Amino acid sequence: MHATQSLCPVCLRRLEAAYEEDGDGAVYLTRTCPQHGRFSALVWPARDAVPSLCSFDQWHVVKTPSYPERPQTGTDKGCPYDCGLCPSHAQHTCHGLLELTLACNLACPLCYADAGGQAPPPDPSRETVSGQLKRLLEASGRCNVQFSGGEPTLRADLPDLVREAKALGFPLVQVNTNGVLLGRDPELAQRLAEAGLDSVYLQWDSLDPERLAVLRGTRVPNLLELKERAVEHCARAGLGVVFVATVVAGVNETELGDLLRDAVRRGPVVRGLHVQPASFFGRSPCGLMSSRRFTLAHVMQAFCDQAPEWVHGTDFHPPHCEHSLCSFNAVYARVGSGLKSEREGMDKAMGGGMAVAAAEGSRIAKAYTARLWARPSQDAGRGDGAGADCCGEGPQDAFSQFLVARSADRRFTLSGMAFQDALSVDVERLRGCCIHIVRPDGRLVPFCCQNMTSIAGHALYPGRLDPAHDLAPDRSGDAPV
Amino acid sequence: MLNREKNFKPDHGKWICGRCHVPLEQLKVQALYLQGAFDVTLPRCPKCGMTLVPESLATGKMVEAEGLLEDK
Repeated sequence: MHATQSLCPVCLRRLEAAYEEDGDGAVYLTRTCPQHGRFSALVWPARDAVPSLCSFDQWHVVKTPSYPERPQTGTDKGCPYDCGLCPSHAQHTCHGLLELTLACNLACPLCYADAGGQAPPPDPSRETVSGQLKRLLEASGRCNVQFSGGEPTLRADLPDLVREAKALGFPLVQVNTNGVLLGRDPELAQRLAEAGLDSVYLQWDSLDPERLAVLRGTRVPNLLELKERAVEHCARAGLGVVFVATVVAGVNETELGDLLRDAVRRGPVVRGLHVQPASFFGRSPCGLMSSRRFTLAHVMQAFCDQAPEWVHGTDFHPPHCEHSLCSFNAVYARVGSGLKSEREGMDKAMGGGMAVAAAEGSRIAKAYTARLWARPSQDAGRGDGAGADCCGEGPQDAFSQFLVARSADRRFTLSGMAFQDALSVDVERLRGCCIHIVRPDGRLVPFCCQNMTSIAGHALYPGRLDPAHDLAPDRSGDAPV
Repeated sequence: MLNREKNFKPDHGKWICGRCHVPLEQLKVQALYLQGAFDVTLPRCPKCGMTLVPESLATGKMVEAEGLLEDK
């Protein structure tokens, strides 16, 4: 169907690859390593498995590439071994991620960063993080920032780092957290809000304690209760919360409808539900080769099946920023206690099928996320139109009325992102990635490159918190790991 | 469609149409963007219809509304 390049999941060498369709319409990414043989990963399920969705071919947005204005590495060994970003990278930064620690108060069986071990490396110093933020600003401008880890709330200076990021002018500053400390300490959310935090990216995988334990372990027995308290504390502090569910086939894929209904029920503090089918890098309870592939299309179909009262296949669309196979998005209006799709007219909004400049897709995605994932305004839930009349000049004009009627507070996003592991990796997708991890030395590495590990657990970009670590080893030739 | 209007006057100064050489008047116009229609009163040339969008509106409420009509 379509030629690209991929990696061998055993030795991580680059290989020619192709998307191939079988007789049932299922699409696989396949390639053959001269040393380790043929590998294939399901990318889009057979037609009868996803009856509510369009075909693989139709799930596509054409983008014209936008290259880094200030590349920090050269093009030497070729993608994906030169990341930093190199001059060939085809998309700007939408989200810059800073890993503040590899310490964690959970020890999840599933952890991309393989964090929470007995002896994590030292946290990057305050000066290092300051340098990373400045480097991100120089390289990528005012993109959105996410503090991640490990568990970033374990750092006592987190509010100071949030304050620093906001002072540099980053429009959305978000913390990616398991919610344990936000649940235990009622004041933490308030301190972060006062520092300028906009949004909490809250790990929220299951409403069932047993399923939660499969994914998140048992180190914190009352984990679900603490997460619920964290949501309450964030609401009180005025922080926006995005629920993030990692989905593993056989564990929680039948729970997506319930997760959606629960997220909506909790009100405007929850800005959206973001679903990530589990990728197999770092630490995982299931093997890379033996696990059933749960694709983005499976996630979308599951929502159609499990929440048919709100969700339909036509609600979803591919992204205009990252590669089409990396994510999906749907926007709903909160109407009464339910949701109503706002998809109508959106195709036209994005050019009606015309090629989109990657830079424009990036601009829109950044603004969209900043607007819809940030804290709800003080006027959330007001229906009298008074909230938008900032000038207090009497009757509402049409723009103000519209802003109230369609305000971000009344919208709910349902989105998903499929990270690439060593089996599903497509070099073209890596090159179009807009989510970049800022390494301690200031290099920007696409999220899936930074987390990529081979079957044996060898990292493509090792030493994630070590500023002195070399660039990715050369695997572009024939030298296997 | 929304039709409660409000008068958006120029941010400063008196404006004259460069083509017709007549002063702009506050006239009702309809701004269309994607599936949205907005009835507002803006400075407009009574002869040729050239309309001035005051900077404060263009960079304020108008850009916010535009953002809400767009999607990721």
